[in-house]
Amino acid sequence: MTRQGARRIGAFVQWREWNGEIVAYNDRTGDTHHFADLAAWMFRLLATRAASEDAIAAAAASEIELPAAIDRAAAIARTLDLFARLDLIEAA
Amino acid sequence: MTALALRFGPFAARLETSFAPLIAGLRLLYPPRAFAEESGFCDFRVAVAPGRGAHRWFRPQARFLLDGESPFKPLPADQALPMFEWGLNFAIAAQAHQYLVVHAAAIERGGRVAILPGAPGAGKSTLTAALVRRGWRLLSDELALIRPADRRVVPLARPVNLKNASIALMRGYAPDAVFSAETHDTAKGTVALMRAPDESMARSDEAAPVGWIVFPRWQPDAPPRLEPWSRAAGLMEIAHNAMNYSLHGAAGFALLADIFAASGCYRFTYGNLDDAVAAFAALASGAES
Repeated sequence: MTRQGARRIGAFVQWREWNGEIVAYNDRTGDTHHFADLAAWMFRLLATRAASEDAIAAAAASEIELPAAIDRAAAIARTLDLFARLDLIEAA
Repeated sequence: MTALALRFGPFAARLETSFAPLIAGLRLLYPPRAFAEESGFCDFRVAVAPGRGAHRWFRPQARFLLDGESPFKPLPADQALPMFEWGLNFAIAAQAHQYLVVHAAAIERGGRVAILPGAPGAGKSTLTAALVRRGWRLLSDELALIRPADRRVVPLARPVNLKNASIALMRGYAPDAVFSAETHDTAKGTVALMRAPDESMARSDEAAPVGWIVFPRWQPDAPPRLEPWSRAAGLMEIAHNAMNYSLHGAAGFALLADIFAASGCYRFTYGNLDDAVAAFAALASGAES
């Protein structure tokens, strides 16, 4: 999977959202995960449509505020890596 | 050797034992109707048998057997009664996969169930014992059984396990309650069992929906504080506390998610039982929901 390709949350993932936090069940691994803040926002985005890393960054710039100390692009890249390690995302 | 069948919640266990104090303890802690025809169907076939080897001569031991296998190390014979209760918990957790089995207490009032998960030391059993002596119905002290078909909690009213300082506390708080003799030097310290209220035992076929999930924590002298908590974080805690969550897979997640979507999720800190009972009364009346 290339970093620039569009990705989305796999159809094998069930999820619920309450107050901006997400719990997700991965039917491939049997693991349950809890995401908040940027990770929850990215999860919701990728669960509703496929997006590349650049597209995520563009959407984040207009939709989500992060503390000034956080490097937005690096945080998005780390979160995508996390989703990949958890086997939650697939190429669109 | 005595053989008897014991009914509790949706289950029946066939017990064989030669320990007369165990039988006497069960007769004290369970109502007469819990003792069923020994020849009927039983979910669990258990025995509490004497230990083997040299121990039996200088320090008699008891072994818990489930389907003829011993899942635990033998314990001193005077621990046969709590060992039997712990063994039943093991049997349910290991075999009752028709339910999502959560390590939590469950109590009901006004037709809605409060599930109380609790790490060791959180005061779950003490709080449960107090609440069921003050108007809440006991569904379970240790294992909440959630039925996937309708998301209801199925009653499993059995004696409440009390430990160490909680025993004297509850004797003072509920002087008319029935307690077993204390068993000392167990892995959990001194333990005693408090008989479930008769009304709870009598309503063992009345399942009820979850209304609240409350994570209790006892702190010395803490004022009562019931605060809404993240449903997502609560679901993760419950999933970790479920004995067979992984077996239920996606259906187990959907079950918990549906329950959390329809329930209040709280953290509760308390320092004394009267405050806790008042806080739960407010919760049940809707003042806190």
